[in-house]
Amino acid sequence: MADLVLIDRRLIARGAERTSTMRFMFWLIPWVALAALGIYAAALCLYFGLNQTHMDTRFAFGMWIYLDLGMIAMGAGAFFTGFLVYILKQEDLKPVLNSAVVVGLICYSGAVAVLMVDVGQPLRAWFTFWHPNTHSMLTEVTFCITCYLFVLILEYLPVLLRNRQLRKVPSFLVFEYQLHKLVPVLAAVGAFLSFFHQGSLGGLYGVLRGRPFAFRQGFAIWPSTFFLFILSAIAVGPSFLMLVTAAAETLTERRLVGANVFRKLGLISGVLLGIYVAAKAIDTLVWLNITSPAVGFSPWDFYAYKPFGSALLFLEIVPLGLLPAFLLTSPLTTRRRGWLLCGAALACGGVLLNRFVLTVQTLALPTLAFDDFLQYIPSWQEVATFAGVIAYGVILYSLSYRYLPLFGQAKRADKNVSLD
Amino acid sequence: MFPWIDGFHWTPNHIIFLSLFFAVVLTLLSTIVAAVRRTVSDFRTHRATEMCWRFNFAELPEEERCCRHQLAGRVPHRICDNAFDCRQCPQYAEFAKLPARAFPPYVGVSFSNNQLYHRGHTWVRPENDGTLTVGLDEFAHHLVGHPDSVQLPVPDSEIESDGLAWRMMKNGHEIRVRAPLDGTVVATGGDKEGWYLKLRPRNPVNLRHLLRGAEVPGWLSGELDRLQLQFSPPDAPACLADGGTLMPNLMDAMPAADWDAVLAATFQEG
Repeated sequence: MADLVLIDRRLIARGAERTSTMRFMFWLIPWVALAALGIYAAALCLYFGLNQTHMDTRFAFGMWIYLDLGMIAMGAGAFFTGFLVYILKQEDLKPVLNSAVVVGLICYSGAVAVLMVDVGQPLRAWFTFWHPNTHSMLTEVTFCITCYLFVLILEYLPVLLRNRQLRKVPSFLVFEYQLHKLVPVLAAVGAFLSFFHQGSLGGLYGVLRGRPFAFRQGFAIWPSTFFLFILSAIAVGPSFLMLVTAAAETLTERRLVGANVFRKLGLISGVLLGIYVAAKAIDTLVWLNITSPAVGFSPWDFYAYKPFGSALLFLEIVPLGLLPAFLLTSPLTTRRRGWLLCGAALACGGVLLNRFVLTVQTLALPTLAFDDFLQYIPSWQEVATFAGVIAYGVILYSLSYRYLPLFGQAKRADKNVSLD
Repeated sequence: MFPWIDGFHWTPNHIIFLSLFFAVVLTLLSTIVAAVRRTVSDFRTHRATEMCWRFNFAELPEEERCCRHQLAGRVPHRICDNAFDCRQCPQYAEFAKLPARAFPPYVGVSFSNNQLYHRGHTWVRPENDGTLTVGLDEFAHHLVGHPDSVQLPVPDSEIESDGLAWRMMKNGHEIRVRAPLDGTVVATGGDKEGWYLKLRPRNPVNLRHLLRGAEVPGWLSGELDRLQLQFSPPDAPACLADGGTLMPNLMDAMPAADWDAVLAATFQEG
């Protein structure tokens, strides 16, 4: 045990105050157990097939796709913060940049892991790239997400190489420095890739002519959901980053970033959320009055199936859209950290609800005369895999916080370490 | 990659999509290759060690980055922005002319006026044959006592200023001692010899970056204060220091202390 404590202490950056090894281990144990359960459930699904789930050919998108869409939207804070700092030169967001990269890496790697369980046959994953379905928006999504995950790994590498023990290897430290200098390139590539894959995930639903609840008109080859997904992701990414940072502050009992960073993230999130809600409202009105009647459906019929009533639409647009946009931007509320976090939580809830509606409600609704309204309750294997990914995220973030300079970026930026 | 898909026909959309995709892939690969090439170049041009040191220096707490002229009492407060390389400091000559504070001859740990000191707790003594002898200073010696093992560089190997000079192990702790200057190892000693390395300097020797005169007691008394703070319990009330001298072989005498933190600060780990 003494050796473990010593190893743990040696991995923690000099001068960084962290909780005791024992407390940290007790914190990790339940998450490791949950991750182990998730791995077991995923192994069952991979070994026995998707009969372990409650999905079928009619209800092919379930909890996992919902998790993927939700996590990828929340992970947008990574590319968007990088874009703001490196391209738009919003230097005051630098303190959360490393944290944003870790959050993004967790969200995207978790999403890819779940997708691999969902698709199955992981040994044949390369088929996706070598024999792609060139008519599917998922092809673009797959290509972009894979590339962006690679970008995130490259962005995480400089953070990882600054670990106290790794930095003792001179070649690692110099490589970290040189890679760090090229991070603006990665930020630009990340923004480009994210723009398209976030949009294509939305476009995926908007082009479903056979699903009039989801089908939308749009611009050129892109349905309106393409643009709404991009807007909602960049709106909610900073909010999720705020929530993660606040959670880390609560758990560690330390102030990790200044109040100005929270206010700025909140303002960016709130303004973008306001634009998104306005666009979403217009889109909904167009769908209600033009798109849906044009294909022969009364739009309100879609809301006749409980529990998916019209209240869900109202909930998404007003309490989880307009209200957080107000809380995150109004001078009356942004001075209070509690209101800011409340706004951020509501914003995240709104976008998660949007992804749920598009994934689950779309598939549950009948579209043909002989169709029934379907009910889908995920199996324990699906829930456990989902929980395993959440546990993986908590473990990776906890380890990164403990052993890497997640919130130390501002310190380095203030000092000239360049030889050039 | 698509043409072998049954029924595939090229369209402008495919060309645009694939061009963008491969542009992204090429950009990512180029980024990695550029970072690796620059890293290799930094090692070839002997810039790597200096870069590593500057990284570590930037991570040092402010109180450990104070200028030598502050240590000597020539200026009230000044933080070094040259990574302790006074050879490149444009203001060195200006401050060096100022009168230094008078220190007592003994500040709790002994030092020699014939030796120059590096802040990584090594001393340097120029010899008549043009070589330079390097040893561990009294402060570090009191902390470590007799190391369990020492890993010295082989003769004829090159060491670089602020890079790794030698490693020591003591009670399971690895101690990495920084080199006080660039040079070629001529001979190696050890704990019993009282010195560790004899170096032939690589370039025309310039030792301006090493501490001397009034700077040494000023620096050592600051180090003793730091040590006292590191040894005091976290919730200890404020109290007056009672003076005294540093007892020998502290790592054996106080095994329960936070030696990880003490050694990191003593040997300038960033």
